[in-house]
Amino acid sequence: MSDDRPEPGDADRSDEAIRVLVADDHPVWRDGIRADLEASGIASVVAEATDGGEAVELVHELMPDVVLMDLRMPTVSGVDATRRIAEDAPHVRILIVSATGVEADVLEAVKVGAAGYILKSEAGPDVVEAVRRVHAGEPVFTSGLAGLVLSEFRRVATTDVGEPRLSQRENEVLRLVAKGYSYREIAGKLFISQKTVQNHVQNILRKLQLKKRYELMRYAIQKGLDRLPE
Amino acid sequence: MARSTVAVGSEAEPGMRGLWFGILVYRWAALAWMTVAALTHWQPLDDKRLALVALLVTFAWNVWFSLRQGWLRQTDRLIDLAIAVALLPIGGLVMADQTILDELFFATAYPAAAALTMGAGTGVVGGLLAGLALSVALVFSRVTNGLDLEAILEDWGDLVNGAVYFTAAGGAAGAVRRVLLTSAAERAEALEEAARQHDRAVRLAERDALGREIHDSVLQALALVGKRGKEMAARESVSSGKVRELAELAGRQEQALRILLSEAPEEPPPGMVSVKTALEAAAFGVEGIPVTVTSVGPAWLPAQAMQDVAAAVRQALENVVQHANASRATVFAEALDGELVISIRDDGVGFAYDEDDLRGMGKLGMSKSMRGRVEGLGGVMLVHSAPGQGTEVEFRLPVEARDRS
Repeated sequence: MSDDRPEPGDADRSDEAIRVLVADDHPVWRDGIRADLEASGIASVVAEATDGGEAVELVHELMPDVVLMDLRMPTVSGVDATRRIAEDAPHVRILIVSATGVEADVLEAVKVGAAGYILKSEAGPDVVEAVRRVHAGEPVFTSGLAGLVLSEFRRVATTDVGEPRLSQRENEVLRLVAKGYSYREIAGKLFISQKTVQNHVQNILRKLQLKKRYELMRYAIQKGLDRLPE
Repeated sequence: MARSTVAVGSEAEPGMRGLWFGILVYRWAALAWMTVAALTHWQPLDDKRLALVALLVTFAWNVWFSLRQGWLRQTDRLIDLAIAVALLPIGGLVMADQTILDELFFATAYPAAAALTMGAGTGVVGGLLAGLALSVALVFSRVTNGLDLEAILEDWGDLVNGAVYFTAAGGAAGAVRRVLLTSAAERAEALEEAARQHDRAVRLAERDALGREIHDSVLQALALVGKRGKEMAARESVSSGKVRELAELAGRQEQALRILLSEAPEEPPPGMVSVKTALEAAAFGVEGIPVTVTSVGPAWLPAQAMQDVAAAVRQALENVVQHANASRATVFAEALDGELVISIRDDGVGFAYDEDDLRGMGKLGMSKSMRGRVEGLGGVMLVHSAPGQGTEVEFRLPVEARDRS
């Protein structure tokens, strides 16, 4: 799936503004984010969706570069919308924007294809920076999400040998993200380049999504869904 | 307390106390009847001195046995049984030769008290064995009374009657004991379950209290936002710092409220509290910078220890607010095998951490008190910092390794 995606950095070369779709049931948040993005000059909001279903339809229609997705929305949830968009339009980057960094929904949304997660309480410039980074193909992790991902992989490490695991270094990087270190700080601490830190985080994200597929596959085999009906 | 009494001292069961009381009443009534029977039939007795000694010894033993609650001790129960067993052949001795089948028997029904006691004290098997010993002794009472084998066998009906009486008494008392203790065990289990439910209710109530506190602070924050907002609107120019302060206040409250609403309470084992919840409570209300609390997997600590840890974390955060000039702080907890690691990290100015220097400048006070708390729990405190690189304070605490399943 990752082959379909532009290499990180591709988008930076384009001079055009990043086309953003904002999906949130709160008009106040939509207005706020629109104001922040348009003030930045690097992005423009091409549409607003008030629930997950609308977001999926609008993505089909408009093919934006980035979707800013709230998790708690009526009718179709942010997680379901993320899954559908990731399947239909894998080149569209999805950034989850939610109120707390600790919900299980967040982890689920990232597993099914979101490229990152930021808190609603982030200041305007931070939101813009996050949009720029997901658009450039970088995952955006909060410390809370890093904690959830660590828990997830630790659970795996004790159950099944066939599932993807994190390397020692990836564990180290993830733990530092969870402790609140920035990529730059992690690079300094581990004597590696910032680019290498980004690659580690990218790999962690890929393994997480792979793990999700592995789980689905195992479920299907258990239930005999992989066999054709006779 | 109450729970452990029931579980360990099963004899303290109300049902068992009732059983012992009933047997005690039987014991004394039978002894009284034995005495009355002996006195009213004193004249035909053959060995009056032995009869008197037997009566006095039995009486003295029963006073001692009752006062000392001898039924609770196996030695006392065995002595009691020995006396009862001895009374039967003695009965044959004190009565005039070959009158035992026609006259009122000297020991009467008293020996059954020993079978009842043994049964109630040790169970069905003990009771049956005691009854059997008494039955054998009953045969000997015929022998000591001078009856020959033929006469004894001819009277087999009376012997069987006596034997059935003694063994049934012992066995039945044992059966009653079993029933009482089984139901006591069930009750203890039910009690324990009730206590668990109570613990759970207390935890939920604690969470509720935390919730109320948060709700209250949210209301206050809202009132403040409203008031300041109006003030700002009235003023000509407003510094962006003031506005940001207000926005941060609202943002923090929103986050606290969301966490409370979105998360189901974790279920720690009895006596333990969730490290995450406690750390959130410690971080809540830290003014000046946003604090994020992150944890890996479920982690629990005993409530008492957690209080100290939370106090130390709170101190570390206050330190960050006062000295670090940081834009944010993160509290991170992870339960590794046998160790709980809690880190408080800020992105502030940092410093060259050297305890000797700090001591020289008289700045070690805060750090010492944190370290004291952590070391009091058998843990260690580490500080990683350098000028311009923020500060990470790390607490490493030993915890009992438990199965992660």
